[in-house]
Amino acid sequence: MSPRLFCTGLVLTLLPGMASAAELLPPDVPIERAIDHYIDAALKEAKIKPASAADDAALLRRLTLDLNGRIPTPWELDDYLNSKNPGKKTKLVDRLMASPAFVRHQALQFTTFLQAEVPGKKGGQAGGLRDYLQTAFAEKRSWDRIFRELMLPDQSNPKENGASDFLKSRVKDLNRLTIDVSSLFFGVNVSCAQCHDHPHVTDWKQDHFYGMKSFFARTFEKGGFVGERDQGVVKFIPNKGKEKLAKVMFLTGKVVEAPGQVEVPKEKRKKEPPGKTPPAPPKFSLRAKLVELALAPEQRDFFARAMVNRTWHRLFGRGLVMPLDQMHSANPASHPELLQWLARDVVEHEYDLRRLVRGLVLSRAYARSSRWDGEDIPEDKFFAVAQIRALTPMQMAVALRLAGGDPEKMPRTGPELEKYIESVERSAGRLAGMFVQPTDNFQVGVDEAMLFANNENLLKEVFGDGPGSLASRLKQIAEPEKRAELAVRSVLSRPGRSEEIQTLADYLRRRTDRPAAANQQMLWALLASAEFRFNH
Amino acid sequence: MPLTIRTVKEINRRDILFSVARLPRSSRLFLGSSDFKVHDLDVSQNNPQSRELVGHTSYVTGVRLAGQSLISGSYDGKLIWWDLENRRATRTIESAHRRWIRGLAVSPDGTKLASVADDMVCRLWNTTTGVKLHDLAGHAERTPNHFRSMLYVCVFSADGRHLATGDRVGHVKIWDVGTGRQVGSVEAPILYTWDGVQRIRSIGGVRALAFSPDGRQLAVGGVGRIGNVDSVAGPSRVEVFDWARSQRLCEFTGPQGIVNRLQFHPQNDWLFAAGGGSNGFFMFYHTARRAMIQQGNLPMHVHDVTFNEDSSTFYAAGHNKVVVAEIRNSGTIGERGA
Amino acid sequence: MVRKIFCGSPEHPISRRGFLGTLAAAAGTAAFADMTALQVLGTPAVSADLRRNQKRCILLWLAGGASQLETWDPKPGAVTGGPFAAIQTVVPGIHISELMPKMAQRIRHTAIIRSLNTRNGDHGGGSRLMMRGRANEAGLAYPDLGAVLARELGRPGSPVPDYVSFYSATEGRYNVTPGSPGFLGARYGSMDLTTSMVPENIRRPSGISDQDHLARAGLRDFLSRGFERGRSSDSLESHNQAYQRVHGIMASERLFDISREPQRIRDQYGPTLFGQQALAARRLVEAGVPFVRVGRAWWDSHGHNFETHEELVPELDHVMATLLDDLEARGLLQNTLVITLAEFGRTPNINSQLGRDHFASAWSCTLSGCGIRGGSVYGRSDPTGNRVIDGEVGAPQIFATIYRALGINHHKNYHVGSRPVPLTDPGTQPIREVLA
Repeated sequence: MSPRLFCTGLVLTLLPGMASAAELLPPDVPIERAIDHYIDAALKEAKIKPASAADDAALLRRLTLDLNGRIPTPWELDDYLNSKNPGKKTKLVDRLMASPAFVRHQALQFTTFLQAEVPGKKGGQAGGLRDYLQTAFAEKRSWDRIFRELMLPDQSNPKENGASDFLKSRVKDLNRLTIDVSSLFFGVNVSCAQCHDHPHVTDWKQDHFYGMKSFFARTFEKGGFVGERDQGVVKFIPNKGKEKLAKVMFLTGKVVEAPGQVEVPKEKRKKEPPGKTPPAPPKFSLRAKLVELALAPEQRDFFARAMVNRTWHRLFGRGLVMPLDQMHSANPASHPELLQWLARDVVEHEYDLRRLVRGLVLSRAYARSSRWDGEDIPEDKFFAVAQIRALTPMQMAVALRLAGGDPEKMPRTGPELEKYIESVERSAGRLAGMFVQPTDNFQVGVDEAMLFANNENLLKEVFGDGPGSLASRLKQIAEPEKRAELAVRSVLSRPGRSEEIQTLADYLRRRTDRPAAANQQMLWALLASAEFRFNH
Repeated sequence: MPLTIRTVKEINRRDILFSVARLPRSSRLFLGSSDFKVHDLDVSQNNPQSRELVGHTSYVTGVRLAGQSLISGSYDGKLIWWDLENRRATRTIESAHRRWIRGLAVSPDGTKLASVADDMVCRLWNTTTGVKLHDLAGHAERTPNHFRSMLYVCVFSADGRHLATGDRVGHVKIWDVGTGRQVGSVEAPILYTWDGVQRIRSIGGVRALAFSPDGRQLAVGGVGRIGNVDSVAGPSRVEVFDWARSQRLCEFTGPQGIVNRLQFHPQNDWLFAAGGGSNGFFMFYHTARRAMIQQGNLPMHVHDVTFNEDSSTFYAAGHNKVVVAEIRNSGTIGERGA
Repeated sequence: MVRKIFCGSPEHPISRRGFLGTLAAAAGTAAFADMTALQVLGTPAVSADLRRNQKRCILLWLAGGASQLETWDPKPGAVTGGPFAAIQTVVPGIHISELMPKMAQRIRHTAIIRSLNTRNGDHGGGSRLMMRGRANEAGLAYPDLGAVLARELGRPGSPVPDYVSFYSATEGRYNVTPGSPGFLGARYGSMDLTTSMVPENIRRPSGISDQDHLARAGLRDFLSRGFERGRSSDSLESHNQAYQRVHGIMASERLFDISREPQRIRDQYGPTLFGQQALAARRLVEAGVPFVRVGRAWWDSHGHNFETHEELVPELDHVMATLLDDLEARGLLQNTLVITLAEFGRTPNINSQLGRDHFASAWSCTLSGCGIRGGSVYGRSDPTGNRVIDGEVGAPQIFATIYRALGINHHKNYHVGSRPVPLTDPGTQPIREVLA
């Protein structure tokens, strides 16, 4: 199908590969079943036998990382492995999602996601936006509500004002703001140059870019607050022709007739004096109009699909549509009906993020092993085998802390465990700063290996054998095999395998003249291994 | 005793003027210019047009009168003697210095010329014959940080017996003019900013020198410590020494910028400083009382100044401008002398 | 597009990367048994020929913007020309500033490009532009020159770092460090030397012996290999590759140690930091490091431009001349490209502090050595230096020329997802007149 379809803004209801509503699975099917239905159907058609399910330990680790941003403790490992409850996976998911760590981890992930492109800002820094997101997720606010609050922040309420950081950090560069909003919330990179080479589409590309930019044309910042004028318009010079005023237009092509579509001369613009309170809102807010449009029935597919795709990408390591910001008809999803079904589901359930996340992680597709026992590994888009994803800086830092801690000193469950985790997180900031935020197809640089191998500070902090450390616990265990087993369980969050336990024990035995150093070296080898570094 | 400084003439120019000399008892100035020429300019005219003395091949950084001769020095390393009537060179010393000449001074009796250049040597010449009398060497060619140093300024004492020279790193030497031997030194290291951290280069140096009328004190000027060596945005600074004892008597700072010129009042009523940053400034300071009498702006970055016979008028030359200013005592002068 | 799995057994087909990784791993494994024997400057695993023919690049980054009028494109006598004269070089018709007498003697190695018009007079933006050869796009992070050359000229599993950057001054440091591998990934990031002449984390920590340090690494490898079985991922490979490189890089610490050079050579480069770092750069490229940037900051002479250049240009002249002589004497110059470049040049207009300000409309850069037709000048600025009147080029053309000189096809594509990204934008032409 020609790319024209997207760019002329015809309604998305019947794009190629899309099934009619009647052909989709019914809406009352649980999310995880719908997922497995469509994923398995595609596998069957391609005659691919998927990898087996990840074993209990692997799944526990993966879920704990994805939902709580950390590795499980050896107690959690034991409890999960020993449980005979057939519903233990669901129970685990619900426990992790009920934990305050879920809110904290999600807030951090979204902060990174929303701020990653802003130059000079490191993703995940503490600050207004993160605080706002914590509040929002703690209150289980829906994604459409969060979108609205990011576009129209309540700047008079200190609890909510952090939401204004999204606009504030971009308001000086409206092109950046336009591209980010379109990409992050609608899955469309509107600087369409890379979309199509089709010569006829040129005009529309520009119209769409400037159309979206128009929603922000009246937005300004003064005195630390974001404001919006009653007037203002975007002018641009199209590829062919003279300079013209942009229409306010959404990605679907829907044009907004807005009052005040005149140019505001520069001198008038500068007149606003800085104040201590947010500027008065305009009578007609283009940003409010954007939110209204984006969620209206004919337009909301972009929003819903982007929400699904981003969440899927975060949990599976690969979106249903890749790249994430190229969601258009010339770039179909790997599983178009699934995307459609999930988009419909989120709309029907009012953009409930938690519900979506829960459904995704309960699917069989999510729970596959990352190991492929065969020759030719299938393409990623089949989700036949789980992706390997590098830990984020905070995940690394918290995981290092937990892995290096004395299990005997850790609470087993309940509120004490939650408190312990929270305190570990709070002290992990500096360590987190030593790692780079991973992107897709992340390449680990040699600096990280050098850091791990030789940095005195890191080595002291993580591998020291002071009280409360795993190393100090290991000192008290005589048998090398038992030490190795404890180390593997603590660091890799799984029981040891005989071959590796033997190798580790041999290593320790060859160093009986320096047992403490040997223990630390064993720990190092485990913590520096790929198995620890990745979510798998 | 406050002074009033009144600008009576401002002449705009396209070039940068580095040096100025005035024919005694006249309004005729000779200006060393960035256009490689010496300009002969009568500032009493309404729309003064200069007459050009052509011969140098780079910036003319020193112009001084010796009797009926005008002598100029330039970045081209040459010294040129000029006939003032027909504005032609009467003598050219091609390689008076190996490197860029930065300044000239003429002894009070007009018989000797001193020139300083970045070859770090001050040379004394017979103004009549052009014969070299002495090489005053000793300033280090390299800074402590291994870079090329510069020798900026030389000045005679009122009795003509001594000569002072000042360099990039804040080192000042005092010489016996007759023997050509060094007889003293003072250090003003604050005038040299070496930034080994942010920008790994230096700025500053001793840019101005002046002996007190009794020859015992030596004022040393430049700019104080600079945080950002990309410009001369630092506190202008003058230090006054009892040079024979190498003892600093006082120091003062002024407007932002670098002091390029110092001069004592002949009866020591004040010590005058001028210079600039993005703009120009002047200062009048009373050394005995250690008090600033007056400071203010000048309309351009000033490179050189000359006074009239009774020090009631000064002529400043600098960036794209020549300025004539009158000095008035607003109140009583007070004590005379040092 | 099916990816093969690297499962460690030589019987199974493995990816090319995996194969090269095995080679390095084998070398590494053999080596770790006795790493003390690893002679980086005489690595037996790499033939002398391979080392000699490998192309390298040294970038002398004149951070802050050196003045073209006080270096490569003097205009003595012009109202904008300043006080310094121009001198003849050994090539008739080519004159450079009198502040560079040594380079005047060596100009036959060097092509001067006097017609840069890059339109960005901002330190940050100009640096990013001139380090990438193009402006960044929204949503696409281009790799910088070091990253591209590390990728194109580096050897997989190389025991030496492949992108080294010296930048000791604090001013302007973050305009160019850390290096930007962009979409090529962290593998091609820079090894940054800022406060020290020796890289961070290169020394074995106290509390562990050499033997244990190596044995510990071997243990890590063993565990990782177990994990790798049945798993295929570029990310995963990069993790192991990073660790494979650790001991080689640790061994390459000696490369940074200029005290190992004869005093005579050290004296030649001179006592300044810039000279020392240029010597270190020569050691690095000699050992096979494909790209070294020596950042000499900070040229931003808004005031006292002439004195600043009187201070810095003779140093540049001396260091560059010494470097070229040294490379030539070692037979390395024909395979090493030496570049002088900055974020922009300086205004012809002289301001009231005798300074020159930022200027990107007509400025200069030079290319010497590998693939370059030395003793040439390309492009002209007008008599006052205010604009280019002939041969105007921008960052893209300079980069096309650099790649060409190093034998790299600048039309070739990287891929970001499915999007092809050529090294230089389509239609970009190198400056043929300066290519050998």
